[in-house]
Amino acid sequence: MASVEIRNLRKSYATTHVIKDVSIDVDDGQFVVLVGPSGCGKSTLLRMIAGLETISGGEVQIDGAVMNAVPPKERDIAMVFQNYALYPHMTVAENMGFSLKLKKVSKAEIRAKVERAADILSLSHLLDRRPKQLSGGQRQRVAMGRAIVRDPKVFLFDEPLSNLDAKLRVQMRTEIKALHQRLGSTMVYVTHDQIEALTMADKIVLMNDGRVEQMGPPLELYDRPANLFVASFIGSPSMNFFDGTIENGAFRTTSGVVLPLAQIPSGAEGRPLVYGIRPEHLQLGGAGGVAVEVAVIEPAGSETQLYGKLGTDDLVGVFRERLSARPGESVTVTPSSEQVHLFDKATGNRL
Amino acid sequence: MTEVPSRNAGGHGQAEKPVRLSGEPFAWRHLLYLAPGLALYALFCLWPVIQTIQFSFHRWDGITDARWVGLRNYIQVFTSAQTLTVFGNGLIMIIFYAVLPVLIGLLIVAIMTRIRIRLLSVFRTVLFLPQILATVVVAVAWRWIYAYDGPINALLSAVGLGSLSRAWLGDFDTALISVGLIGTWINFGLCMVLFIGGAQKIDTQLYEAARLDGAGPFQEFMAVTLPGLRGEISIALVLTVTNALRNFDIVWNTTSGGPGTSTLVPSYLIYEGAFITRNVGFAAAASVVLTVLILVLTGVITRLMRSED
Ligand SMILES: Nc1ncnc2c1ncn2[C@@H]1O[C@H](COP(=O)(O)OP(=O)(O)OP(=O)(O)O)[C@@H](O)[C@H]1O
Ligand SMILES: [Mg+2]
Repeated sequence: MASVEIRNLRKSYATTHVIKDVSIDVDDGQFVVLVGPSGCGKSTLLRMIAGLETISGGEVQIDGAVMNAVPPKERDIAMVFQNYALYPHMTVAENMGFSLKLKKVSKAEIRAKVERAADILSLSHLLDRRPKQLSGGQRQRVAMGRAIVRDPKVFLFDEPLSNLDAKLRVQMRTEIKALHQRLGSTMVYVTHDQIEALTMADKIVLMNDGRVEQMGPPLELYDRPANLFVASFIGSPSMNFFDGTIENGAFRTTSGVVLPLAQIPSGAEGRPLVYGIRPEHLQLGGAGGVAVEVAVIEPAGSETQLYGKLGTDDLVGVFRERLSARPGESVTVTPSSEQVHLFDKATGNRL
Repeated sequence: MTEVPSRNAGGHGQAEKPVRLSGEPFAWRHLLYLAPGLALYALFCLWPVIQTIQFSFHRWDGITDARWVGLRNYIQVFTSAQTLTVFGNGLIMIIFYAVLPVLIGLLIVAIMTRIRIRLLSVFRTVLFLPQILATVVVAVAWRWIYAYDGPINALLSAVGLGSLSRAWLGDFDTALISVGLIGTWINFGLCMVLFIGGAQKIDTQLYEAARLDGAGPFQEFMAVTLPGLRGEISIALVLTVTNALRNFDIVWNTTSGGPGTSTLVPSYLIYEGAFITRNVGFAAAASVVLTVLILVLTGVITRLMRSED
């Protein structure tokens, strides 16, 4: 177990800068999720921690020791790859024990460690199979078993669930989280799925275009997004945004709709702003509500999603109630003013 | 595993379906569609094979009436000192035509998986070139290279090793090796191209996983590259072993089997028997033995190289 510190890390391929001055602290035993849109540099960052990618600038430290020039095998890290990367000609047990075999660990000890890991992951009955004879979820477990067997300082995961179907993904998500709680190891987990990030992380690092947009506990990113990018990335369906200005103590959108505010930050009046409200923070009806023209209603059992127009802006709402309005009709919704986010239109930053 | 056959044996009538595509009952008429192809195959492939087998039990000079001699030709093939040397030469050729090219090919691929080689496609084309060139051209070129006044000897005397120079193809000690190395040169390009193609299909994450697991270059090769190239190695061996045992044109165009019998190979012996010494029965028996040898060897190779699943 160990901490990982990333200091002003940079990575460039010729003239393209892929990682631009990233600094992250991962505490001992923490589960950190790197999340961001495709191509933002998550994998590159993870691979730099692993030593699979050279470092163009800055430092990677594990337990305080600079790793920049240390070869991957000496970093004492284990990585779980997106497509599992299991050796096809080896059995499950051989796959899991391979790193120990290379370290010249005794056969009996390898066996014991492999069996223990197989037990944790309920793989014991599959130890003699080859990867080809396993299902996707089982292969995923073997890949994790291979990491566990090594008892590394840090576990690295690169989108390990993206090849699984939706149901299995949810199940494995829970399993990885349980594994983390059981082993108490430091884990860095890459995903582009914000739900995975929210549900699994102790700390989320939200990246965009080679930079960190915001990092912190999941609910902090959800409750207090630092800018428009974070606000739109975290949460599903994503936050509603309305351009406008504050006039006479209320927010007026460009199409003239007046939306409620709990308090007005000083100096916010008069300049172009963005009003953000999450779909789940809209209520049906209510005094002081606004009229929304219904476009589509999607009942999903436990909740109902509403797609409509607020003035000329698009609006999405998620309600616990069932809605019977038809397209073209108008419903009244009220933003809960405590949960409104205001952003500066020019910089995109939170006020 | 065991449930699969029993399910078919259960016989819900499903097992038979794929055989009869249209669902209509089998009719002899269907064989008619196969007839033209089968006829050509029989005429140009099966018939000569059958005839050869038939000849192998006869004594025949190709002109007068053939005389049944039973197994005598085969006994001669297996007892004559010369024939045994010739088949021995054929087996030695396997080392040069098959084993060496495959080993060199694997070595280069192993290096390439560690170091990216620029101009890969140029490299590949150049290496594959011997495969496209007519063998006669290759043989003539190498005859010149090996000649007493050729570049190899010139190079040797230039570096002060002139005492080693000789007529490489005319020397009892070096002729077989020299002919063999031509085969190595021809076939190694083929192996390379097969292996490079195979190596490019191997998932790069496997190499990274091996590196993280702590594998060095050799262990990485054994754990990732070699198993990944299993199919390609098998194909390369089948092609080159067949090539080695059938080898005729290179020998014909460089040494004609000489000096003495030192580079005589089975195909050459068969050619001599059939068309020069007019001992057709013996040549046929040797052909049958050679064919069986090739079938057995390639069979063993494919069986050994087949992955267990
Ligand atoms: N060898 C390379 N040369 C140039 N650019 C590269 C190279 N490898 C990656 N990149 C660029 O680096 C950026 C980050 O790549 P990376 O694989 O880290 O993205 P990612 O965040 O993991 O995306 P995804 O979610 O799609 O996996 C991408 O824009 C990619 O085009
Ligand atoms: Mg990636």
